Amino acid sequence: MLAESRADEWSKLLVKVGVEKDRDAFTRLFEHFAPLLKGFLMKGSNIGHELAEELAQEAMIKVWRRAESFNSHKSSASTWIYTIARNCRIDWIRREVRRQKDIHADDLYEPGDENPSHLSLAQMRNQRTVRESLETLPQEQTEIISKIYFEGKTHSEVSEELGVPLGTVKSRIRLALKRLNVQLEFEAEDV
Amino acid sequence: MLVTKHPTNEMLVDYASGALSPGLCVSVSAHLHFCEICRDRYSELTAIGGDFLDASEPAELSAGALDTVLSQLESTEPQPSVEVRTQDLPEDEAKLPKFITNLLPETGAKWKILSPALRVSRIPVGEERFELALHKIKAGGKVPAHGHKGMEVTVVLQGSFSDGDGVYREGDFLVREPGEQHRPTASQDDSCICLSVLEAPIQLTGAIHRLMNPLFSVSPQ
Repeated sequence: MLAESRADEWSKLLVKVGVEKDRDAFTRLFEHFAPLLKGFLMKGSNIGHELAEELAQEAMIKVWRRAESFNSHKSSASTWIYTIARNCRIDWIRREVRRQKDIHADDLYEPGDENPSHLSLAQMRNQRTVRESLETLPQEQTEIISKIYFEGKTHSEVSEELGVPLGTVKSRIRLALKRLNVQLEFEAEDV
Repeated sequence: MLVTKHPTNEMLVDYASGALSPGLCVSVSAHLHFCEICRDRYSELTAIGGDFLDASEPAELSAGALDTVLSQLESTEPQPSVEVRTQDLPEDEAKLPKFITNLLPETGAKWKILSPALRVSRIPVGEERFELALHKIKAGGKVPAHGHKGMEVTVVLQGSFSDGDGVYREGDFLVREPGEQHRPTASQDDSCICLSVLEAPIQLTGAIHRLMNPLFSVSPQ
């Protein structure tokens, strides 16, 4: 319950930033999310202290610029900010590691605003947090799913790095998602 | 319309975590544009990312971080997430999802004729392993039979096509594994535009086509 009302509060602040360009609201969001973003990004294996801070700042500036497009019915502030940070990380990898600057991650993801936006069941369910369930995952599942999210690595990369067969990576993730109540469709095709 | 072919869980998780290569990323985005079921799955998967963010250990920022960011807000007015481009597109391309046409030149796709029935227009996304392109098959047109050296993902964006295995409609997400062969045919009543991501150059299987080699890059044997 606590987590839900808290998420609500951040979402309201974010809406305020979008509608009123309220700098105080932004400052509060910054004070809460920037350290979380930095901590989150530092869990990535090749992202150090300074870079994590730089990316966290970049993400927060984007939060300011994009706040208008935040739809509190579709996602929580945390989820929305997560996707912004994820895209900053993708762009950083492309800039630094692959030396590509022309295309930005934001151009590659579906903006989700071209469709009539009725709220689906899953989206409503996502208002609630799965954080508690995250804590109940067996260690071997947590290890893999957090590697995927924190480091933005593919299943194959994680399999190589941990020296675990790809099939095992897939099945642990599937078990983890099941436990987190994520809809798993079309499993027959998903070998 | 019901979309019947979807990306695997693995692909969707990699998409949500930011690990998919740019070309595949666009193909999953294209599918999500049409598929509500997968938009829901994606929304749940990003919510996990949000929860990981919430549960992260906060790391202290340097003393001036907030001021640095605040000072940059002055020059950074809030703006829509995607830059609005004015494009002068042909009628069929104008109906494609906006984020796809945003990746095209201002006057639309630059089509290259590959065979009487088939045109291709590459979309440069700085991709290394995969090649991203639009393919247009004219109404009733047949694509030369071809095999795949690498994986191929096809997402139908407009119209429909069929091959030996079935009929594919808008939003359908097809994965062809290396070694598979097929001969797509567009439906009679409308031309078909697909987005495709090719892992390696494909080869035509007919003898004449081998000489013409009209499809994609030349693949030395």
